[in-house]
Amino acid sequence: MHISDGVLPPSVTVGTAAVALLFAAWSARRTDPDDLPKIAVVSSAFFVASLIHVPIGPTSVHLLIPGVVGILLGRSAFIAVCLGVVLQSLLFQFGGITAIGANACMMGIPALISGWLFRSMRGPSLPRLILAGATAGGLGIVLAVVGLALLLVTGGEDFLGVAKLAMYAHLPVLFIESAIAAFTVSFLFRVKPELLDMSFQAHAAR
Amino acid sequence: MAAGVHVIHLPLPVPFLVLGGTLLLWLAARRLLKFLTGREEMPEGGGEPDYSIPLVDSQAQGDSPFHRWDPRIKVAALLCFMFCAAFLQQLPCAAAALVVGGGAVVFARIPLRYPLRRLLAMGGFLGMFVVVMPVTVPVKSGDTLLVFNHLSFLPFSVRGLNLALLICIKAVAVALLVDPLLATAPFSHTVKALVALRVPPIVCQMILLAYRYVFVFQNESNRMARGMSARGFQKKTDLRTLRNMGNSLGMLLVRSFERTQRVHDAMVSRGYGGTLPGQLQFHARPGDWLKGAFWVLAGIALLVADRLCTLPTGFRF
Repeated sequence: MHISDGVLPPSVTVGTAAVALLFAAWSARRTDPDDLPKIAVVSSAFFVASLIHVPIGPTSVHLLIPGVVGILLGRSAFIAVCLGVVLQSLLFQFGGITAIGANACMMGIPALISGWLFRSMRGPSLPRLILAGATAGGLGIVLAVVGLALLLVTGGEDFLGVAKLAMYAHLPVLFIESAIAAFTVSFLFRVKPELLDMSFQAHAAR
Repeated sequence: MAAGVHVIHLPLPVPFLVLGGTLLLWLAARRLLKFLTGREEMPEGGGEPDYSIPLVDSQAQGDSPFHRWDPRIKVAALLCFMFCAAFLQQLPCAAAALVVGGGAVVFARIPLRYPLRRLLAMGGFLGMFVVVMPVTVPVKSGDTLLVFNHLSFLPFSVRGLNLALLICIKAVAVALLVDPLLATAPFSHTVKALVALRVPPIVCQMILLAYRYVFVFQNESNRMARGMSARGFQKKTDLRTLRNMGNSLGMLLVRSFERTQRVHDAMVSRGYGGTLPGQLQFHARPGDWLKGAFWVLAGIALLVADRLCTLPTGFRF
């Protein structure tokens, strides 16, 4: 779910853009220039994931994966999400151009938090890892949806109903994202575990 | 219920007719998009797929006032107008912005299918506002309520409907301008213009890289989906589907990382140091500045008119 143009009040549009810029600058400072292509990869994967649909009964939802982005990139996750949001907006109008800042905050801050949670929760064993992945994936969605609702409510009490509906509508997404993140993490652990350690090592070396 | 609320009673079928009509319009728009896209000549089969298939700059070869405009001034002026349009608060001014947006699409000679695709992508989000806001907006004094027979428990607020329509019109007006902004110059030129506008070059490099990878990965993702369905995989609502999709997302990431690493190594070994070479020079002519001034002034004029004019009660909210 992405906020389109003209929904948020001017002050919130400008404010979230400023917050997004601050976080992006911080995230970019913490990023090794050699990792830039990797970040572009994850941005693109974040974008492509939004085109992958998972069926729920008669309807379907698309993946959001802020949690997985956080797991893969750690502190660089915010800049990756920013890029992904920019591309989604420019290419497909998923989210408006004037709301890029708000959408980046809505998805990027959850990515940072769930990435941090994953790194502090993970253990050497696969079950611990899967648990951490599921929690991070689910938390990413919870935070993103709460962020969406909060942003909508900044428009005034008139937006309360829409915000509530948006939150309820994302309940099934929470379980799907949690499961997808767990399976993705366990797959990566078995196939290419260094991807899960990348962000961690980059920070340890610093 | 608050004092001073006007109540209008309407027969029951009215909301269903309106809802049905909107749904039909939506379906018709989807069919139209399919029809228009189907006529697009697609390179069929054979050989390595063309990863450079442009999406945002598909009309870059055309000729129009937008194509001839210096990209730096175009990006700055149109973004300024977009923000002004997004901040409007009254329906007539938003409608004027919508007309300007539509005019821009016509002047830039953008084929209908591009803006149509953008509008349909927003449909779900905007539809939520139109359906939910009229019935959830708190009732205030001076509001007009529509009450449908047999549905008296669900009063329908005209103020809520107006608010939802305002949001939709603004969103459509801005979305219509995106194609004149992006499709009228090669994407690399637009990104170069961003560099000239003091966006950090590293960010612009990543935008270009990610923009390219999007098509590569989408292709890869489609290829994997084809392979999975060839092996009998069907998407259902169960844990197995989620496991397979989680694995395929992981596989997509692994393949993408490896591929990108190879490409990056190759780029570095050819002397890539953070910027792509190019001889593009921008030349701003007086006409470019004039166009820029027009858009900036139009945006500011709309915003000022929006804040200064007051409408008769009933249209105000």
